[in-house]
Amino acid sequence: MKTAIVLILAIAAQTAGGVILTKAMHGVSASGTDETIWLLAVRSIESPAVWLGTALLIVFFALYAAALSWADLSFVLPATSFGYVLNVACGHYFLNETVSPTRWAGSVLIFAGVMLVSRSGVRAVNPAPVTIEGLAKESE
Amino acid sequence: MRTAIMIALVVLAGSTGDVLITKGMKQVGEISTVRLTEFGQTLKRILLSAYFQMGVLCMAVSFFAFLAVLSWADLSFVVPATSLSFVITTGGAKLFLKEHVSTLRWTGTLLVCLGVALISLP
Repeated sequence: MKTAIVLILAIAAQTAGGVILTKAMHGVSASGTDETIWLLAVRSIESPAVWLGTALLIVFFALYAAALSWADLSFVLPATSFGYVLNVACGHYFLNETVSPTRWAGSVLIFAGVMLVSRSGVRAVNPAPVTIEGLAKESE
Repeated sequence: MRTAIMIALVVLAGSTGDVLITKGMKQVGEISTVRLTEFGQTLKRILLSAYFQMGVLCMAVSFFAFLAVLSWADLSFVVPATSLSFVITTGGAKLFLKEHVSTLRWTGTLLVCLGVALISLP
């Protein structure tokens, strides 16, 4: 249960961070023409949205590392890839990006993959694999 | 050729970073209680862990190699190619972290890898 909560928060922070950063950086580069990379850098540092997006990505990394302190890497890594699906959905709804059928197909594959991985248990080193459901029962 | 070498660097440095960070975090031990006094101690142990530091360094190398390759190659080619890192990292976790990767987990990881590749195509 702990793993599920931490990873859901991590994915949410990563997705929100990505959307906010994309929106902020589009604003930064659209606010002038013909500028140097340094001007872009200075304007990025001055943008509160860039800081917020970066902070959310740091939150993601902290939660990701925390989950790795008890769960398998071969579980956590594919599980967090669910963020790609959320990113596509958020890009579609909040940034008005067009999503091709290929991209939706990719999202479905990732979703299926994450479902399979999550059924394989959080930590499968022991002979009896520890599942999310098992952990929930344990903590009750 | 230059692109292939850079993509290999992105994938290998990223996977190595993930394995090292996991090793560091496992060494520090399970983070369970959220008490402020303990949190400071735990954070200190994480940041001082040599594995963790090397892992972050590898991640940084991977990230800058990714930015570099994007300066001449298309994102829609680079991201599908780097999605291989899901499989490479899982292999690393099995080999170096002695994690048990069941058929179910391998199948899921392959689906994720394929999905990430599809998602980044134009």
